Amino acid sequence: MLKIEKLVAGYGKVRVLQEVSITVPKGQLVTLIGSNGAGKTTTLRAISGMLKPESGTVMLAGADITGMPSHEIAKRGLAHSPEGRRVFSTLSVADNLELGAFTRAIGARPRGEIRQDRERMYEMFPRLAERRAQFAGTLSGGEQQMLAMARALMLNPEVLLLDEPSMGLAPLLVEEVFATIARLKERRVTMLLVEQFAAAALDVADYGYVLENGRVTVSGEAAKLRGDPAVRAAYLGAAH
Amino acid sequence: MLQILAQLIVSGISVGMIYAVIAFGYQLTFATSKTLNFGQGEALMLGSLVGWTVVAYTGYWLMLPVVLAFGLVQGAVVERLGVRQAIKTKSESGWIMATIALGIIFRNLAENIWGRDALKFPSPLPETPIALGGVRVLPMEIAIVVGAIAMMAAVELFNRRSIYGKAVVATANDRDAAGLMGINTGRVITFSYALSSLAAAFAGVLIAPVTSTGAAMGGALGLKAFAVAIIGGLSSGVGVVVGGVILGITENLTGYYISTGYKDVPGLVLLLLVLSFRPAGLFGRATIKKV
Repeated sequence: MLKIEKLVAGYGKVRVLQEVSITVPKGQLVTLIGSNGAGKTTTLRAISGMLKPESGTVMLAGADITGMPSHEIAKRGLAHSPEGRRVFSTLSVADNLELGAFTRAIGARPRGEIRQDRERMYEMFPRLAERRAQFAGTLSGGEQQMLAMARALMLNPEVLLLDEPSMGLAPLLVEEVFATIARLKERRVTMLLVEQFAAAALDVADYGYVLENGRVTVSGEAAKLRGDPAVRAAYLGAAH
Repeated sequence: MLQILAQLIVSGISVGMIYAVIAFGYQLTFATSKTLNFGQGEALMLGSLVGWTVVAYTGYWLMLPVVLAFGLVQGAVVERLGVRQAIKTKSESGWIMATIALGIIFRNLAENIWGRDALKFPSPLPETPIALGGVRVLPMEIAIVVGAIAMMAAVELFNRRSIYGKAVVATANDRDAAGLMGINTGRVITFSYALSSLAAAFAGVLIAPVTSTGAAMGGALGLKAFAVAIIGGLSSGVGVVVGGVILGITENLTGYYISTGYKDVPGLVLLLLVLSFRPAGLFGRATIKKV
């Protein structure tokens, strides 16, 4: 569904990604783990058009989307829940969700039942239902994270990119986020998950990639990576 | 005595509402792009002069849609020629020079087409003042207040209710995130420039029946409205109305009680005070940001 080949990207003259190749098959959950500064967020930004790649290709459902502006990529069905949540703080929770379906509302993607989908999000995230009329800027960090994920889902995406959905959340909320991701996986949502909690990410994922200094160093089935001694030592906090 | 004071305040309000509409235009572009059209006064002047030409054929009410459409196009042209490139290259000041330059070009153009003299603009309403409890008000002055509020309310309604309006607010909140929603934020910025010039052009044909029109009318209005936008805050709709009315009234009071020569001073002093003590403007709010 999503295929990235030899992606090179960076900021100005600083190259962050060195020929990164990742494949996310339809209906699968792939996770990208690695330490801070390895280039996980940059990878997602280069996929969704927030950052223009220097070279390499990004294919979405067989079509080349490399270097397209992010609004064009969204119209092709890629949703990105970005690092730092980036909810629209002076709009209500309900309006944030409606904007998640912007491409559907303007007819760039199959319209479907936008209102019903929003109700479904409220069922999935009951806290958002309680706060639907509130400005998104007044939500707690955990609630904003729920909103960012729900907003991305409102696109009815072919592929969903999730950037550090657990960042800055209390342990209980982290569990809730991972439970939500597991539920999405059951519904066969194709996802690329970037996470700092590598163990939890590998527990829920089908496949994993380890990114080090802008390169993929290890990849394999999530279960295998969990057992890999090098991965365990470096990212899973296991004893030596 | 009191009657004179009341008279000065009432006529200050209508001028103040004109400032408010132009300042509102500054806010529209600042919200989405953090840039301003420093040729906003010239947008008002052009709208007013186009209206002057059209009104001879159509009458006042049919002239309005023509002028509003002209404002939209003129604003879009300013954005395409003067601002887009500066935003793309993240230039800190390119847009300032570019919008000032475009303003001067528009003014020159207007001087060559319509001449340099003031032109009488036919009023759609009776030009005899109505007496309201001893205060004499021109029907057009009331129309200015009503028109200004209607214009701002219409934009506010659009922003709150329609999906496209929400897309504008989203772009103002976080341009990158808006792009991820599939919103073409470049187009939103063009649109906000178009809307901003529409507001100015509308203000131009609102005030012209009271003050007359001419190629020179834009400069001072644009500058004063800029002061209003700073006083009221670049993010607050209520702020520009209050700021505009305060400026309109103080100008009138100074002009009458001190000297017309000092008419412009109190507003600018107020501007300096606000910049020193409340840089976000009297009504500017600190945006809620959670990390």
